[in-house]
Amino acid sequence: MKQVYICHDTITGIFSAIYDAWKENRDGDSGIALRGVIIPQLFCEYIEVEETVQKSVAVERLIKKNLGYNAYWDLYHALLSDDCERADAVYHTMLEARKVKDSKKIMEHLSNPHVAKVFELSRKVANEAHFFTEFIRFRELENGVMLSEITPKGQVLTCIADHFTNRFPLEHWMVYDKTHRVFLVHQAKKNWVLVQGEILDTEAAGRISETEEEFAELWKGFCKSISIEERENLNLQRNHLPIRFRQNMTEF
Amino acid sequence: MAEIIQEQMGIYDKLQILSDAAKYDVACTSSGVDRQGDGTGMGNCQKAGICHSFSADGRCISLLKILFTNECIYDCKYCVNRSSNDVVRTSFTPDEICTLTMEFYRRNYIEGLFLSSGILKSPNYTMELIYAALYKLRHECNFQGYIHVKAIPGAAQELIQRVGFLADRMSVNLELPTAESLRLLAPHKNRKNILAPMRLVQQKMEDNKQEIVLYKNAPRFVPAGQSTQMIIGATPETDYQILSVAESLYKKFELKRVFYSAFVAVNEDSALPARTGEGPPLLREHRLYQADWLLRFYRFEAGELLNEKSPNFNIFLDPKCDWALKHLEYFPVEVNRADYNTLLRVPGIGCKSASRIVKARRMGTLQFEDLKKMGVVLKRALYFLTCNGKMMYRTKIEEDYIMRNLLNTKEKLPDSVLGMTFKQLSLFDDMTPGQAILR
Ligand code: SF4
Repeated sequence: MKQVYICHDTITGIFSAIYDAWKENRDGDSGIALRGVIIPQLFCEYIEVEETVQKSVAVERLIKKNLGYNAYWDLYHALLSDDCERADAVYHTMLEARKVKDSKKIMEHLSNPHVAKVFELSRKVANEAHFFTEFIRFRELENGVMLSEITPKGQVLTCIADHFTNRFPLEHWMVYDKTHRVFLVHQAKKNWVLVQGEILDTEAAGRISETEEEFAELWKGFCKSISIEERENLNLQRNHLPIRFRQNMTEF
Repeated sequence: MAEIIQEQMGIYDKLQILSDAAKYDVACTSSGVDRQGDGTGMGNCQKAGICHSFSADGRCISLLKILFTNECIYDCKYCVNRSSNDVVRTSFTPDEICTLTMEFYRRNYIEGLFLSSGILKSPNYTMELIYAALYKLRHECNFQGYIHVKAIPGAAQELIQRVGFLADRMSVNLELPTAESLRLLAPHKNRKNILAPMRLVQQKMEDNKQEIVLYKNAPRFVPAGQSTQMIIGATPETDYQILSVAESLYKKFELKRVFYSAFVAVNEDSALPARTGEGPPLLREHRLYQADWLLRFYRFEAGELLNEKSPNFNIFLDPKCDWALKHLEYFPVEVNRADYNTLLRVPGIGCKSASRIVKARRMGTLQFEDLKKMGVVLKRALYFLTCNGKMMYRTKIEEDYIMRNLLNTKEKLPDSVLGMTFKQLSLFDDMTPGQAILR
């Protein structure tokens, strides 16, 4: 009977599940499902996973060592997507890598549906992350902290963290992922950290600095005056800047 | 000279006026240089450039694009800011430019600054002001993001050089394709004054390369290269003339990009084309960009695409298809043997697919099915290719026949040219091929 390992929707959870499945069942019929999104199937045995950081670290090491850093990058990014079968796709990609001649080239085996899925998901997350390096807007709060709120599909915070850390090394800034309720926090001159399990204090987040409104108005005015009326083309604008990003952007 | 100068204007109004006046400059790219922040200031640069927003005309907003001043002593006929126009005049101070750039950048609105300017008092005076603003931005605000700056024609060489060490990209606008047109529409400018700073920037970049080899930490001079732009459709030049100018700019001045800007009628003037209600010539602009692409990446020469006898692009066919139809003697080519350059010239094959073909055929003989997977657009390519000596279908190799079929497959025009009316298209009637009908 197929063994399905159930875990929480976090990297630690998924890597722990992979750890157990790999250890106990890599030669049998096994899979991984995320808690809360499984559709129970007949003839499956469901196994609860004990999730630990140690297991997670071990799996990370296993992947990097055997599949190489580039494949790890793809697997990791696929896991950041919002696809409910991503954990299973990653697990099966790892299984497939055992069968091919050069495991480090696993991501070239796109004819395998699991590999193809991982590839597609990783692209999707990377693209979305790139959009956010473009479209994130910060506002200055009373206490000088720059705050941004975003509503991404994938968990893109770790993908954009280095970019903004290098860009704004001397600022205190923070990006709040409303979809997954995670903060990316950067203190001036330090490295970034992820903070989970906190909720945004909307009252404090609304207390903007004295000059914030003025700069927002200047920017809005600029976006209007820079457009050439005779060339107006809202379709083209929409193709480049999909509506879903606009909800958190100052100029819309 | 009608002039309304307002001394006490607020920054909001200044920004409105000086961005509105800068919007006709097409380049807004922040590309060409990779630079990590060093941790002591703000900003970095990414080679591919980053867009931050899109305005209602669908153009990317990457840089804070502004004029330093619109208090211009010149009288270029096509320009809103010409001295004979009765518009509100104003100038930024270097401090205002720094504040706007830093505060916009901090909020991730922009990738950097694009600073252009009218001529306040004299070219040197203006260039000094620009230098003062950039110096402050780089050295006092410690801004490490992207800066694109205009070199003012006629300004002292030494000044232009100093500015070049603060900027990532520099451009001098050619404005119009020929010296004659320039004389007519921009009486205070001349070709020599425009080409001189271009040459200077080119030489300085060359010297700078040597310096960097010798001293790794030598300051960089315009690391993202220089570009220029010309206005299309304000003067009677043919596409052939325009493209030839672009070609010589690429060859002789090693420009990174030449931009084409469809003429937008903002002034009534007997020296300008009458306002027609048809809007800017966007399709023509699009064809020029396509041809420009062929020059830069497909190893075409201007003289192959156009000539004195047929000096304008076909409105119905993109320049590459058009070229192929006029040179059927080269076709069909054999996919399994033709060299890379020849493959590049086949309609429907791009740079990527051409190199994929060259790589893949080492492993075995290619079939038409394989080509599809490599990104070849077969519905266009099929008239020009054989695989193992066979064409994909039985087809005549005959100009009219292929043209009809190609027109049937419909070129996918980008959204930027859609929204054009048929009337606009028929403006180019003189270059309509024999029996082609717009479907
Ligand atoms: S120099 Fe000519 S194009 Fe430039 S602002 Fe003055 S009038 Fe306009």
